[in-house]
Amino acid sequence: MVERTPRWVYAIYLAIALGGVCLPLVLGWEGFVGWLAQARSLATFDSLMQVLVSGILQGGLYAVIAMGLTMIFGVMRIINVAHGEFLMVGAYMAFVFFTLLLPEELHSLFTANLGMAILGVGVVLLICLPLTFLFGMGVQRLVLNPVVGGPELTPLLITFGLSLILINTFISIFTSDFRAIPYMSGALVVGNLALGYPQVVSFIVSAAVTGGVFGFLKFSRLGKAVRATAQNSEVAMVCGINVERIYLYTFGFGTALAATGGILVSIQLSFFPEIGGIYILRSFAIIILGGRGNYLGALVGGILLGVIEGFISYLVSQGSQLQELAAYTLLVFMLLVRPQGLLGGIADE
Amino acid sequence: MSRRVLEVPAAGASLAEGLPARKAALRLAAALALLAFLLWPSLVNVYQVSFVFFGLQYVVLASSWNVISGFTGYVSFGHVAFFGIGSYTTAILMVKLGWPWYLTLPVAGFLAVAWAAFIGFPCLRLKGPYFAISMMGLNEVLRVVALSWESLTGGGLGITMPNAENSVSTYYAGLAVAALTVAMCYAIAHSRFGLRLAAIREDETAAEAMGVPTTRYKMYAFMLSAFWPGVIGGLVAYKLLYIEPDSTFFVAITVNMITMAMLGGKGTALGPVIGAAILYTAQELVWWYIPWLHLIAYGAFIILIVLFMPRGIMGFFIDRGWVAKGVIQ
Repeated sequence: MVERTPRWVYAIYLAIALGGVCLPLVLGWEGFVGWLAQARSLATFDSLMQVLVSGILQGGLYAVIAMGLTMIFGVMRIINVAHGEFLMVGAYMAFVFFTLLLPEELHSLFTANLGMAILGVGVVLLICLPLTFLFGMGVQRLVLNPVVGGPELTPLLITFGLSLILINTFISIFTSDFRAIPYMSGALVVGNLALGYPQVVSFIVSAAVTGGVFGFLKFSRLGKAVRATAQNSEVAMVCGINVERIYLYTFGFGTALAATGGILVSIQLSFFPEIGGIYILRSFAIIILGGRGNYLGALVGGILLGVIEGFISYLVSQGSQLQELAAYTLLVFMLLVRPQGLLGGIADE
Repeated sequence: MSRRVLEVPAAGASLAEGLPARKAALRLAAALALLAFLLWPSLVNVYQVSFVFFGLQYVVLASSWNVISGFTGYVSFGHVAFFGIGSYTTAILMVKLGWPWYLTLPVAGFLAVAWAAFIGFPCLRLKGPYFAISMMGLNEVLRVVALSWESLTGGGLGITMPNAENSVSTYYAGLAVAALTVAMCYAIAHSRFGLRLAAIREDETAAEAMGVPTTRYKMYAFMLSAFWPGVIGGLVAYKLLYIEPDSTFFVAITVNMITMAMLGGKGTALGPVIGAAILYTAQELVWWYIPWLHLIAYGAFIILIVLFMPRGIMGFFIDRGWVAKGVIQ
């Protein structure tokens, strides 16, 4: 006999929720009115379009990062806390390529026009992805393989330990200074919109990678095996799929996707060894928003989060902290209200 | 006949015979340890008093985490939130309202419990990784609130409390809090309440079917596990005389308490105490001698414990028959 929750419990929650919305409104009414007026003056059609498109560009990047996480989460049921650090590794790989390996004279080549800029990122991707893929496979084989399918705490702690190791190794190698890579600056002007070249490159590459992942999962034999393992690993095993090998590949793919995200971050922003923390909870928010193990969900969730953050930071004056809060609140709210995500995730066992 | 069968337990005989002597020895050891802890401040310098105080802090945190995650099986990956609430309660009450520090501690504890009750009711319905992630997210929410609500929390600048000579007083308060926490865990581990929590951990549906009101018991466990972190959070704030959001709602503190409980043996009353003592001492030593390696070594250490000692030191003892296998384990 399941206990019924008494009515007064719900009444308390309702009261707190109403109070949480109304009290700040009443107390800070003048500030609220002022903010409304300010927001109304900011909200012209052109500027809103600008924010929307920038948000979508940012969301494409989020989608790539979250897709790696949702792949690992969906197939292996592992919360990979080190995902942000894999991203950081990718960013530093791009840094090493652009500042140490690439001769000074060739820099101008990659900043000549949009096509060459994309080509530059493509070259970095070609070098980095196999490396990070192998790295991910090594991590899976060495420390995660024994604990797949066990209690959820174990992989959580292992990946946290891994992230500590990665962050501090990179601090010892590169120091904790902010780094940036010399990349194409300026903006692409389309009608009334001005879009920074790095953002445009990032979105184009994200779109290509996302499309590639979709195609891979949908049509290739290996992709189908990955999806089958995500749906039910035992049945997949019975059907002759080598599940352990799928885990190995999945973790490699996930790591490579995170590193792709890192490379795309590195051409837009400066970075430092602890940058992973900025992206990890956002990625969780995205995969919960879209639905666990749902790749389309990761795309929708990523773009949604990018747009929401864009609007918040544009319309609210102390936007950056509120922007962070948006991801976390969305995460908790979705878990409580619709834990399967907007598009529905794979079923719980 | 039946009486004889009852009187001759086969395997446990040697354990049962050795038990009274072992119990007496354990009690003596506990009494000596308590005496040493009580005399400690009069024997050593201020740094060493602080050293033990922060060790006691981790005893409290690891033991409390163990109540919800070790006994009940709901992995809280944001338990530092309660610690942070306690810290901010004490700091705000002391600075804004001028309360003496010892009066703020119960308030800190009860506010942490209130927050646990508020978030526990919806969140404890989530299972497995979802609960862990939601706790992590809620901790971040609190951190950002503490960072942006500048009129109350001082934002990123934090709160500075008036200077005070607090080394010895916080030490004894910390000792009392640690003793009470461990006593609470021991009582839970040896009670019907603890058995019900273990039933929830092993199979919640079965526990429900056997008549355990799981929702209510999970809530009790969660609230109990929030109280002492709140109190010790307040105490640590008073000890440090300065708090700021990033180091107060710090994920690494959560991981510390989890690793300590895992090292000692989660789900046992004494495990977290042993784990906290060992890991905290080891951390301080490595930090003192090889600072650049400290966090890398810690990361590797977490991985090694989880892979090779998932049941912790108590599990090792139990396997060898040195400690009786509790029902809870």
